Amino acid sequence: MELTEREYKALEDIVGVEYISKDLAIRDTYNQVWGNKLVFGEKWSPRPVAVLLPGNTEEIQAIVKVCNRYGIQFKPFSSGFEITAIGLASEKGIMLDLKRMDRILEIDVKNMHAVVEPYVSVHRLQLEVAKYGLYYGAVAAGPSAGVIASSCCHAGSGQTNVFAGAIERNVLGAEWVLPTGEIIKLGTAASGDGWFSADGPGMSLRGVLRGHCGANGGHGVITKASVKLYPWYGPSELERSGEIPALRAVKKVPDQYKVFVISFPTQDNGFDALAEIGKAEIAYSDYQIPLPPGGNLCEGNDEMWENMQKLDPAAAKMFATMVIVILGANSSREMEYREKYLLKILEKFGGILLPPLNDPMVHAGMFDASMFSFGSVRHVFRLTSDFFINPCADGSEGLCKNLHKAAKEVMGPYWSNGTILQVGSAIFHPVYENYTVGSHHEDMYMYDPYDPDSLEGTRELIGKTVDPNGKFRRLCVPCLGGGLQFEPVNHIHETWGSIYDNYDVWQRQIKAALDPNNVADWGCYIPPVYP
Amino acid sequence: MSLETYKHDMLRCTRCSYCKWIPFENFRQSDFIKGCPSVAKYHWHAYSAGGKFNIALSFLEGRIPYSEPFLNAVYQCQMDGSCDVSCKSVQDIEPLQLMQELRMRCVEDGQVIPAHTPMIDCLRKEDNMMQRLKADRGKWAKSLDVKDLTKEEAEVYFHAGCKYSFDEGLGHVARDGLTLLREARVDVGIMGQAEMCCGGRAYELGYGGELAKYASRHKKALEKAGVKTIVTPCSHCYQTMKVLYDKVGQKLGMEVLHITEYLDRLIREGKIKLRKPVPLTVTYHDPCHLGRLAEPWVHWNGKETKVLGQMIVHDPPKKFRRGANGVYDVPRNILNSLPGLKFVEMYRIRASAWCCGSGGGVKEAYPEFAIWTAKDRIREAKSIGAEAILSACPYCTQNFKDTIKETGEKLKVFDVIELVQQSI
Repeated sequence: MELTEREYKALEDIVGVEYISKDLAIRDTYNQVWGNKLVFGEKWSPRPVAVLLPGNTEEIQAIVKVCNRYGIQFKPFSSGFEITAIGLASEKGIMLDLKRMDRILEIDVKNMHAVVEPYVSVHRLQLEVAKYGLYYGAVAAGPSAGVIASSCCHAGSGQTNVFAGAIERNVLGAEWVLPTGEIIKLGTAASGDGWFSADGPGMSLRGVLRGHCGANGGHGVITKASVKLYPWYGPSELERSGEIPALRAVKKVPDQYKVFVISFPTQDNGFDALAEIGKAEIAYSDYQIPLPPGGNLCEGNDEMWENMQKLDPAAAKMFATMVIVILGANSSREMEYREKYLLKILEKFGGILLPPLNDPMVHAGMFDASMFSFGSVRHVFRLTSDFFINPCADGSEGLCKNLHKAAKEVMGPYWSNGTILQVGSAIFHPVYENYTVGSHHEDMYMYDPYDPDSLEGTRELIGKTVDPNGKFRRLCVPCLGGGLQFEPVNHIHETWGSIYDNYDVWQRQIKAALDPNNVADWGCYIPPVYP
Repeated sequence: MSLETYKHDMLRCTRCSYCKWIPFENFRQSDFIKGCPSVAKYHWHAYSAGGKFNIALSFLEGRIPYSEPFLNAVYQCQMDGSCDVSCKSVQDIEPLQLMQELRMRCVEDGQVIPAHTPMIDCLRKEDNMMQRLKADRGKWAKSLDVKDLTKEEAEVYFHAGCKYSFDEGLGHVARDGLTLLREARVDVGIMGQAEMCCGGRAYELGYGGELAKYASRHKKALEKAGVKTIVTPCSHCYQTMKVLYDKVGQKLGMEVLHITEYLDRLIREGKIKLRKPVPLTVTYHDPCHLGRLAEPWVHWNGKETKVLGQMIVHDPPKKFRRGANGVYDVPRNILNSLPGLKFVEMYRIRASAWCCGSGGGVKEAYPEFAIWTAKDRIREAKSIGAEAILSACPYCTQNFKDTIKETGEKLKVFDVIELVQQSI
């Protein structure tokens, strides 16, 4: 499929010849991303008919209007690090690479929020706001993830959710180019009162904007957003040491923070302790991580494997229930209180601090990994090339416990036969907002999409976890963010809607209302009518 | 090696985009976090290392033909290796080697850049890529009384390199360097008119055969002259003779040193005494070819295998070149030993240094892009209050000078050699 000359010219007139391309080589760099082999059977998803690099909201608005005129679907993205970012449902789809829109527009120190454009990455914002004693929450996808993509458009969680809020709940306002080309603002920004509240005075459409899983571009383009910031107790610049980036970490955990790597006798103890620590309102970071044994700071897989072989098997077993807690405080007295409280909770649930996991080097690495999500790409991709998450849910610890038990049972044979990485349980489980809204839970598996047995085994495993009549039934909420769902291939909404009170009917009606011509690509969202 | 060798890596590029920035662990100032000049200027993903993995895979699978945008993505790139360092901070794959193979495939297929053709023609005819006659090569050292290694033997061979040999504006730096060595009573000689190109820049443009040819010619000439150590003030030549010759199986059987390494040695041995104050606030720009690209070549013969079911490891274990073992401390040691000099660091340094803009044939084919890239480095140097930017590579120095001339910025540009010379 190609655009007609007229269609292409209409788009070119908006951005200029320099910022549009229909060349095959350029286009084929906008359809290759991890996960494609699993979903599409090859490295490529559908090739866009053109790629554009718009520079501002007005250009995006004009592009969207042209798309409506000619029936072209569009997909906006920032870093593009997932199928949900660059998978297209239509053969007549264009990509909007928002790389040129990369400004931090405002940091409101007093009201603790920042207004950014789509190509501002999480770590860039963290670096900038640290100068003012502020912090933007880590996103598990890593420091390269876009602030707007992760907070307004996608589902995800992060290591500091307990303190710095669930990512999607930190949106305080947005400038939104609807699929019709109309521009609206949400929250106080709509009434010209600044970007400090998403709930007005002014339109509050946060739920429609993103719901739980995010529309992944299926609702238009977010061109600006305001996100909530939190206190940062550390220095404005952290000193790091180590020549190789993968071995590089803060020289010393700042005095205002303390890191604890805790092992529990059982997984249930770990979950209970995580919730209790959340409820105590003492933690800056409170989560379980699927860190492979010996994998904290390693140059590459070979070194990691060497370290893993040296581990005491008894200690290695404890890694499966390893929980990271970071306390942050404004004063030594406050820190003293928090630490005392934490140790009481550990005592209650049998948590222990294994010395090899609690030396200064490990703490330094875990501090960077927790605050800034450094290393997440290393740990989920370098090991086997790809990973998948399912089951995945948000809810109470009770739900998470049951989910994980079922997951272990279903995944067990695949660990045993080596279809997926044999590390045993691999959980990412951060607590949300001092446990006031529960926790996030992911059971992960790492596989090699270019190993036929691994690919087939993983597909079979995913089939079992998303089968509405299978082991999980209603427990396994298919999570778009973690689950790499691509509706035209996976039919998740179509399959699951009726089981969940026909939520998809409501969702499709919203899509139809916002996007009457169905031009905002729905591949990672939902179509107004299933094809 | 061939393009096909890297298919495994093409398939496993996740599109994380780390190649576009310096490693996140090295972020210090949010104005200076970009690592890849190509993608910073042209924006298209195709210009990043990740994009080149994508292009290469699509090309091998017959999905895309050569096109102007294809070649622009391949050649509007300094081959500076920043992407390689960032990528390998999270992955065990080889973006820079892939990009080199992609260029070599383009050349094999006749997909060359017009601006590069006369450089290669000149190399084949005149043993240099500077569009100059071989007969003019030794003129930079005309007034110096120094051993001619085509006629006599010496322990140290001073290899000026094409840029210093032919660029009248830079020739004094080579003369200063050689003079420093001679004054320290080093048994040193030059090849004069018989000096030849190292072949490294041709290799970088994709002309692989030229490298092997010059490696072999150098080996013969230098063994005949009884040379034990090669010293060069050119970072490109240094990287070529130390790393690339080894890579293509033609390692020279002698020590290869950049002049900063040799000067540092002489200073520590007390053979060069730095006495005169150099009252300047300076910063140091790590040349790519002296820094991350100068890491010794690591030969590895083995196979990829799996442990724990699916974990990818190597048998025997493979040591990846991740940029840490370049020459970073030596030039800094020299600067810190200069009396009266105040040394300040930029934000992107060592393996995370921003390129000067000149490499990979960019200066010759896309001069405006070379200047654009240098402007960002000059902006960075000025942001930390430097009065002068120093480098240890003639290509960096020249491009900074050209940029300052064009923009009228007030920043001095020196080679490290010049300040050492000023101080004795």
